Amino acid sequence: MKLKLVLAASAAAVALSTPALAQEIPVGHLADYSGATSDIGVPFGQGVADAVAYLNSQGGVNGKKIDMDTVDYGYQVPRAVSQYKKWSGGDKVAAIQGWGTADTEALITFVARDEIPYFSGSYAGALTDPNGKGERSTKAAPYNFFYGPSYSDALRAMLMWAAEDWKAKGGQGAPKYVHMGANHPYPNAPKEAGEELAKELGFEVLPAVQFALTPGDYTAQCLTLKDSGANYAYLGNTAGSNISVLKACDTVGADVQFLGNVWGMGEDAMKAVGSAADGVVFPVRTGAVWGDEAPGMQTVQAISQSSSQPQDYRSVHYITGICSAYYMAEAMAWADQNGGVTGPNIKEGMYQKKDWVPAGLEGVCLPSTWTAEDHRGTTTVNLYRARVNGPTEGAVAELMSSDAMNLEKVTTIDVPRKPEWLGW
Amino acid sequence: MTAMTPSGDFKTTYRADTTIFPTVTSRNFAIVGIVLLLLCPTFMDRYWLSILIQIGYLSIAALGLNILVGFTGQISIGHAAFFGFGAFASAWFSNSFGVPVFFAVPLAGLLTTAVGMIFGLPAARLKGLYLAIATLAAQFIIEDFLARAEWFTGGVAGTMAEPFSIFGFVFNTDTRYFYVVLAYMVVMYVLATNLMRSRDGRALVAVRDHYLSAEMMGINLTKYRTMSFGISSFYAGIGGALYAHYLQFVSVESVTILFSIQFLGMIIIGGLGSIMGSLMGTVFMVMLPEMMTTITQALSGSSIDLALGLQDNIAFLREMAIGLVIILFLIFEPDGLAHRWKQIKAYWKLYPFSH
Amino acid sequence: MNTSLLLQLLINGVIVGALYGVVAMSFVLIYKASQVVNFAQGEFLLIGAWVCWWLLTTWQIPFIWGFLLTLAFMLIFGVALQVIVLRPMIGEPIISVIMVTIGLATFFQALMKWMFGVFAQPFPPIFERSTINLLGLQVQTVYIMSLLISIVIMVGFGWFFKFSRMGLAMRATAFNQQVAQSLGISVRQVFAMSWAISAMVSAVAGIVVGVVNGVSSALSFFGIKVFPAVILGGLDSIVGAVLGGLIVGLLENFAHYIDSQYLHWGNMYQVAPFYVLIIILMIKPYGLFGTKDIERV
Repeated sequence: MKLKLVLAASAAAVALSTPALAQEIPVGHLADYSGATSDIGVPFGQGVADAVAYLNSQGGVNGKKIDMDTVDYGYQVPRAVSQYKKWSGGDKVAAIQGWGTADTEALITFVARDEIPYFSGSYAGALTDPNGKGERSTKAAPYNFFYGPSYSDALRAMLMWAAEDWKAKGGQGAPKYVHMGANHPYPNAPKEAGEELAKELGFEVLPAVQFALTPGDYTAQCLTLKDSGANYAYLGNTAGSNISVLKACDTVGADVQFLGNVWGMGEDAMKAVGSAADGVVFPVRTGAVWGDEAPGMQTVQAISQSSSQPQDYRSVHYITGICSAYYMAEAMAWADQNGGVTGPNIKEGMYQKKDWVPAGLEGVCLPSTWTAEDHRGTTTVNLYRARVNGPTEGAVAELMSSDAMNLEKVTTIDVPRKPEWLGW
Repeated sequence: MTAMTPSGDFKTTYRADTTIFPTVTSRNFAIVGIVLLLLCPTFMDRYWLSILIQIGYLSIAALGLNILVGFTGQISIGHAAFFGFGAFASAWFSNSFGVPVFFAVPLAGLLTTAVGMIFGLPAARLKGLYLAIATLAAQFIIEDFLARAEWFTGGVAGTMAEPFSIFGFVFNTDTRYFYVVLAYMVVMYVLATNLMRSRDGRALVAVRDHYLSAEMMGINLTKYRTMSFGISSFYAGIGGALYAHYLQFVSVESVTILFSIQFLGMIIIGGLGSIMGSLMGTVFMVMLPEMMTTITQALSGSSIDLALGLQDNIAFLREMAIGLVIILFLIFEPDGLAHRWKQIKAYWKLYPFSH
Repeated sequence: MNTSLLLQLLINGVIVGALYGVVAMSFVLIYKASQVVNFAQGEFLLIGAWVCWWLLTTWQIPFIWGFLLTLAFMLIFGVALQVIVLRPMIGEPIISVIMVTIGLATFFQALMKWMFGVFAQPFPPIFERSTINLLGLQVQTVYIMSLLISIVIMVGFGWFFKFSRMGLAMRATAFNQQVAQSLGISVRQVFAMSWAISAMVSAVAGIVVGVVNGVSSALSFFGIKVFPAVILGGLDSIVGAVLGGLIVGLLENFAHYIDSQYLHWGNMYQVAPFYVLIIILMIKPYGLFGTKDIERV
């Protein structure tokens, strides 16, 4: 008798909870917590996860909770694709928060077919053309979104700055530019775009230098770099291997102005490299870094404090992760009021406003615009210079507050939204 | 442990001694097993179906490696490279030449066989350790080639693969694809069993057991060692091609050394030189990470999880588990699961007189 | 022809090659003494470097004490590994023994990632001046130290095998285990000692690389570079292993030179040694200086 009662009660509980479940929005989250890019995959992934948890604690999207399934795919494309198959079949997810370039590009066709908006951590130029109409774009990517300037545009901005910098420093003759990175879709993404613009700007473009995505001994590469007499070198990899290169090049005495990519530099990397990181110029995607004053920073602080893994300093990657999640959530809120949280509606939601920032993150995320023709959210690039003034032993928070390290704003560059640069 | 046949079942001809199934009952069991598998999609959810499909294509490749390592005694640390090659080859045939996928899969198998023979020819002269090192080098060289050959693999960006189709019928759901993989699996396993009862199969075993004696008995060592490499590559190629059309995307990242080690792990756990062992080992290797995920999820939030960070490090825990089971099996159960299965069967057959 | 770059790369090749030589030497030591092909040699470097790093950063002890403690740990670790894992494998076929060491490599690599993460961690600075100038090439002091340490280790090995009782016992065991045993040498002890010494020497190499590049899983790749080295130098010669290591170091840097100046392919640096390895094995199936086993039926 008792057993029956329990069974009946639990059946009733299940029946009651089903409508509540329907109020949840399923979202997939691919993160790299263990692979080649986990050095930055961890803070970004945490930013996304913490932001979603915080949103849920504040009532979710119009009262609907986001049910996010976080999966560590170790930066392995096959694992990302097989995980995607799980999410896209049966009970389809409404959107996906993704990560790397190789897997995002591999999934372009799949997400377009299944109509699942895909917010990637990859900013490859190939993801910015929703209709495949750009002169150099390879295929249409209608469901791909990301927050920030594309890798190509960021590199273009740095090259524009470098051309000015060369003149300002009184350099003689044509400056030499070299692309450095692994033979991998992510460092390769802006390679041609950068080399072509460098030629237009009067740089002499040297043959690319290759180094793997993993840390290692790159003395040989640095000797070649030094010998080639390069003046500006783009580091296409993530911080993990850039650290090794910066150190090795410092040792052999290569006098090069390094240009980092958005993922290639950050507070943690500066600490790990030490004095060799001093002077590296790199793009920062947010309007404010930790410790800055901005209206939206309160939200960021609150998200960080509610995190299951509290820390007293959050890197630029963490804050960017929050932006990525908030843009998605706001598009979902619009979709919810305009026919339900489905893929096509979320996509529409992204197009609704011009130069918009998600509510609560004013001054943190940079105003971005997505249209049905152009998924380059922003082409404004803030360039910062890494400054390391002393030994880098101790916690990042201490180092940043004691001025042993800091991020110095160099300039803001508006890359023109040229139609021929769409999707490339 | 000798094979146990029921009393009264005396073999009077060599032919009868080398049938695929030793007894009628074992044949019936095999048929019932296949019928049960055929019914699987009706009651299994997507998760289990995808696991079965994974087991399917991996076990084909594992069987190939077992023919090379377990039956011929040639070690190979580069099996994943051939698996990956087959995957790319099949995608290449269907993308670049418009070959229907139905034909692209066996064609990919044949092309991989050719590549395997090219590597097998010099390998036929090498033994033991030197062969291990040479195949390790082959792993790195093929990996590098695949990352570079854009015309063939799409370079580091990888390539899309069409879903499996025949006469306009597309096998694009897991339920449909399950039958494709099952059909291939049955055919490939029957072929292997058949091979092992032929003269060629016995020659391979002779090469493994004592190659000098085998040579003296008139077995051409170079021929059989190369052939073994070819066969194993064929199986790897078919397995890889099935994988390509299941995932519909192939990347050079699936061709890592860890994957090669996983294949070796499968056949060691299943049992070197056992056809059914290859399948058992694959099941074990596929289920192991799934089980670990389940366990860590069950422990999630508990003090053990917080202290050790299990959830965040699941990827490393899986790798550790792969290494650990290989070591444990080699020390405590060198003959693998197939051997243990035989012992269990014998125990019940002889019950209560088992020793 | 860019001679100054080539010269600098070749000097770099000698420095790295000497380290490969040290690792190859400790690989050969195990092979000679216990007939085990150790695919986990690179993980010895990894473990040694991480343990030392952990001692220095967590416990803030002086480098020399951390270094000695690491060596002590590796001694125990090597013996334990041999006794627990490798001893039961005596008499098993070579495939099984190879697979056990591959299993160990997989296990320890993942264990180190689990315990210490995947980021490269820098060692605290050890020398006052971090670089000195050598023939126009800025070389880290630790690299010079590593070259010196490598030479000291090599000379030490030479002395050990020529004069010490344990060394002679090891050579006797390598020559013929049964005869050695009948002469009163404890073969078990020799096996365990060879693993211990090999682990310690590898750890030294690991610490040196760690100080230069930071400690990371990339260290385990040294264990793979050992194979071209021993195939070049011969599996059963310690001097050959050192030479092989030097050749591989030079080869890598030469390949990088050709690549960067003419081919522009990108990663010849990493793959070139494996091509050479395959070519050598195709011509000489027992390596360049290896001896062909005579087998009897």
